[in-house]
Amino acid sequence: MARMNDVGGMEGFPPVAQEAGEPAFHADWEAHVFALNGALIGRGLYNLDEFRDAIEQLPPQEYLASSYYEKWFRAITSLLVRKGILTEAELAGG
Amino acid sequence: MGERFGPGDQVRASRTDPAHHTRIPRYVRGAVGTVVEPEGRHPLPDLSSRRLPAEPEPVYAVRFTARELFGAGDHTVTVALWESYLEAAALAGPRAEQP
Amino acid sequence: MSGDHDGPAATIAARVRRLEELLEQRGLVEPLELDRRLAAFLTRASPANGARVVARAWRDEAFRGRLLADANAVLPELGLSMGGGLQEQRLKVVENTEDRHNVIVCTLCSCYPLALLGPSPTWYKSEAYRSRVVRDPRAVLREFGFELDPGVQVSVWDASAESRYMVLPRRPAGTEDADEQALAAHVTRNGLIGVAPV
Repeated sequence: MARMNDVGGMEGFPPVAQEAGEPAFHADWEAHVFALNGALIGRGLYNLDEFRDAIEQLPPQEYLASSYYEKWFRAITSLLVRKGILTEAELAGG
Repeated sequence: MGERFGPGDQVRASRTDPAHHTRIPRYVRGAVGTVVEPEGRHPLPDLSSRRLPAEPEPVYAVRFTARELFGAGDHTVTVALWESYLEAAALAGPRAEQP
Repeated sequence: MSGDHDGPAATIAARVRRLEELLEQRGLVEPLELDRRLAAFLTRASPANGARVVARAWRDEAFRGRLLADANAVLPELGLSMGGGLQEQRLKVVENTEDRHNVIVCTLCSCYPLALLGPSPTWYKSEAYRSRVVRDPRAVLREFGFELDPGVQVSVWDASAESRYMVLPRRPAGTEDADEQALAAHVTRNGLIGVAPV
């Protein structure tokens, strides 16, 4: 079953876009997502392979529409919901 | 448990197409390459991603020619592959990578 | 949380804050833990580290040999390690020569030797790079302004498992008398990935 991340050798992508002197993170929330993932894996809530799997299983439209760290965020929340640690309602602030 | 393959061995990447998470990229499946060297032992991500028991198994750096992978190109691509993704290849044909 | 609404209408920043709040309430994340982790990561992980390794290898033939044979074992000599992240990773240093040029990629996601190169650039994580560099590395290098001699063979390394790769670029001409610090200044992140000569 083809997964959207498995792009090695795939044709049709544009030239590589470079951003001179780009920062490590383009927004604070990105840095927080990065650190959060490390913290949650460190606590054993999920492992790195589960995390990658969760990114790969994002619905294709969501996957394509999301930036790199948005994918991370969506994967983390889907894992936490699936494992019964949080609910969608709680995440939505309800 | 020892390693099945050693440097210089010809191996074929599995033609698997699982529904679950895996770390064998589509572009190498079914291709024949040459083992460069072992890269340690690690649990198979196909299993650990589903929290199934996974004993560490050997991982190998396997070198493929671009010609073998894509039918064109003069470069090589070396991919790190778990032993479960590999089988011994028959004696190398003319398209396989020469060590 | 004034001004925040549920669902996709909320900004991503607000949703991340909400997630952190919930996790702190549950005791799954400590207050300030994320800031500490970030600070530790950003101070520890930098391409200056990879540059020091390269400079040492250029100056010290024995070090270079040990580095190519078992990089993890020699990193402590420079006070470096591939640990400190989610897991200690095996490092494989691949050497550019007159006949061979190496390029690194992770086609499946974005695996990268963070400890030695710092945070990865967005382009490295892009589908464009990941898809194209394994099929036509010369064309991708050309987009970085790097025209490889036709006689040089290209080896692409796909970090699909637990190993992380780093390129040992060729030492620039005219640096015979340079000390390690001056040598390290020649080394760029792009050179360590392989999309630049050094």
